[in-house]
Amino acid sequence: MGQTRRALAIASIAAAGFVGLQLLTGSAAAQNSTKVIKIGALLATSGAGSYQGAQQKEGAELAIELLNKTGVNGYKFQLHHEDSACGPLPATQAGKRLIETVKPDVIIGESCSDGTLAVMPLVQQAQIPLINASASSLKITEPGNPWTFRILPHAQMQSENFSNHVYEKLGARTAVLLFENTNAGIDTIDSFEKAFVAKGGKILAKIGFGRDVNDFTAIATRLAGLGPIDIIPTASLEGQGVKIAQALAQAGVTKAGGGKAIQLSNIWLPAGFDEKAGKAATGFIRIVQFDHLEQRKPVQDFLASYRAKFGADKTPSHLQAQGYDQVMLVADTVRRGATDAKSIRDKLLETKNLEGATGHVVFDGKHQNSSVDTMHYVETTADLNWKSLNWN
Amino acid sequence: MLDLLPILAQQIINGLVLGSIYVLATLGLTLIFGVLGQINFAHADFVTLGAFAAFFAARLTGGNYIFAILAALLVGALLGLAINGAVFSPLRGQDETRPLVATIGVSVLLENTALAVLGPVPYVFDSPYSNQVIRVAGMFFTVQNMLVMIVAVLSIGALYMFLKLTFLGKALRALSQDREAAGLMGINQKQLIALTFVIGSAFAGLAGAMLGPVLVLTPFAGASVIVKAFAIVIIGGFGNVEGTILAGLMIGLIESFTTQFLTPGLSDIVVFGILLLMLAFRPTGLIAERREENV
Repeated sequence: MGQTRRALAIASIAAAGFVGLQLLTGSAAAQNSTKVIKIGALLATSGAGSYQGAQQKEGAELAIELLNKTGVNGYKFQLHHEDSACGPLPATQAGKRLIETVKPDVIIGESCSDGTLAVMPLVQQAQIPLINASASSLKITEPGNPWTFRILPHAQMQSENFSNHVYEKLGARTAVLLFENTNAGIDTIDSFEKAFVAKGGKILAKIGFGRDVNDFTAIATRLAGLGPIDIIPTASLEGQGVKIAQALAQAGVTKAGGGKAIQLSNIWLPAGFDEKAGKAATGFIRIVQFDHLEQRKPVQDFLASYRAKFGADKTPSHLQAQGYDQVMLVADTVRRGATDAKSIRDKLLETKNLEGATGHVVFDGKHQNSSVDTMHYVETTADLNWKSLNWN
Repeated sequence: MLDLLPILAQQIINGLVLGSIYVLATLGLTLIFGVLGQINFAHADFVTLGAFAAFFAARLTGGNYIFAILAALLVGALLGLAINGAVFSPLRGQDETRPLVATIGVSVLLENTALAVLGPVPYVFDSPYSNQVIRVAGMFFTVQNMLVMIVAVLSIGALYMFLKLTFLGKALRALSQDREAAGLMGINQKQLIALTFVIGSAFAGLAGAMLGPVLVLTPFAGASVIVKAFAIVIIGGFGNVEGTILAGLMIGLIESFTTQFLTPGLSDIVVFGILLLMLAFRPTGLIAERREENV
């Protein structure tokens, strides 16, 4: 009898333990069932291009916050950022770290063309889709890369469109080209030159400079000695862009300084450039990817969310809009059934006419967004506001 | 092409302004190297922090540029005192590479701290003179650029008079020639070394205050001039103030004329080509310092 009781007690304890174990593992499984899409972000937060990455990260984090309020198809989103510093070496190192430690389902970035080109072989090898929104070099999509997508119109799209407009609408016939010596700068200016010359325009000078140049007085002096110039297409980051505009105005070359030339820029300069350059920005014509005055719903929704988080007096630039749209594009693929890297890539391929804050996304056969409605032309007025030119 | 003469004259002015910028950034480096034989790799960050000190001081005082310059001088001097006390002084007397490596560490620390606190977005430091343009006989220059040249000349003059005419200056020169002998003559080495760092770093702060309105102002601003500054120190003659001035102005003129007739991208090739030639054929620099040896 005693042995029977003992056996029963042992059996009861074992059963209780078994049931307890089942309850515990069941609970852990329940916790692990929160599905997560890991978004890697290779964005420059140091170096000359860091203002780009910092603002793009802001936009991406805002999108993540909004999406995670309800989730998408049972998925939440996590952003894992690595500083890629807008250069090939730091971007490669950051990319490797991200892929090896986080194993993201998708990567957004990099902020600059040189960094993006460096990272592309890594994502191809790891078979992780890369969504780029700010690097304009043709080399990113033209050769074809099955894992890279770009929502920004590339250098040739922007430059051809721009050169047609300035030739037809401004009557521009002579140009001096100024550009930073990077892939993006060279591609931008080469595309412009090709299109402008094909139309009948003449290039008076083509001047490249490094990112370490601060004083542009010598360049402005050289331009002052070239005779009448109609347009000065410029490809540079914000800091140098401000100094170039000021030097050209001081030398009396551009309209802002009493000259005749009009300075132009593709999608390089953020909102706020005009205040920094001051009067030297008067008459500057450029393509902006995001116009906060547009009444389209995605623009106004993004603006409202941004101001709710950062303050009613704050206005996002195209950089925050880029980061925001990249994450929203990922969310859209998840909404359509994507669950991992490969299915996100497959759903990206199927993306047709998704409307974002920067415009519509329609990927062509080379994964390049072929929609041109992201290009808005504005001119800086004397009071440093924008006047929309409605060229597209 | 329009009349070349005004263009050439303008490029000479541009070159002298650019050269003055380099001289201002290099002066402190030359002084420290000349007296102590030590290179401070954090010098670029002292220039940058001097620029930011001037920026915020000007903002606080509604644009008082004199106050901004004084603030930058003070910040530079304090940084010099700190780096000497924390890095060079404890490591002095040991091998030469440790202080060198330590200053690299300080540079990384200062740059990333500045980045974390100030952010990466470029600041626009408009002094009261940045946008005032003077036009004379077809040439132009901003009042800020003129101020840079004037301050560079005054700084050089002040440094020269200090080294040649004051007791402390003579003591510093004695220290640079023979530290041991200077000590035997009753010169307090420790205090004078600290003073050298304070003065050299104050010059860096001053350079920052003058360059802030000229540079693209970010936590990396100083780095864009410091590479040329090291080249100037070598081309001019290690630790030689007259050589620094000559080399700085020469490089400024090379850059402006390379931009005019070739392309800006080639100016670095020319400058560093000259550097290599100097090291190969005249390693003592443009103006070699005469040192007498007692045997």
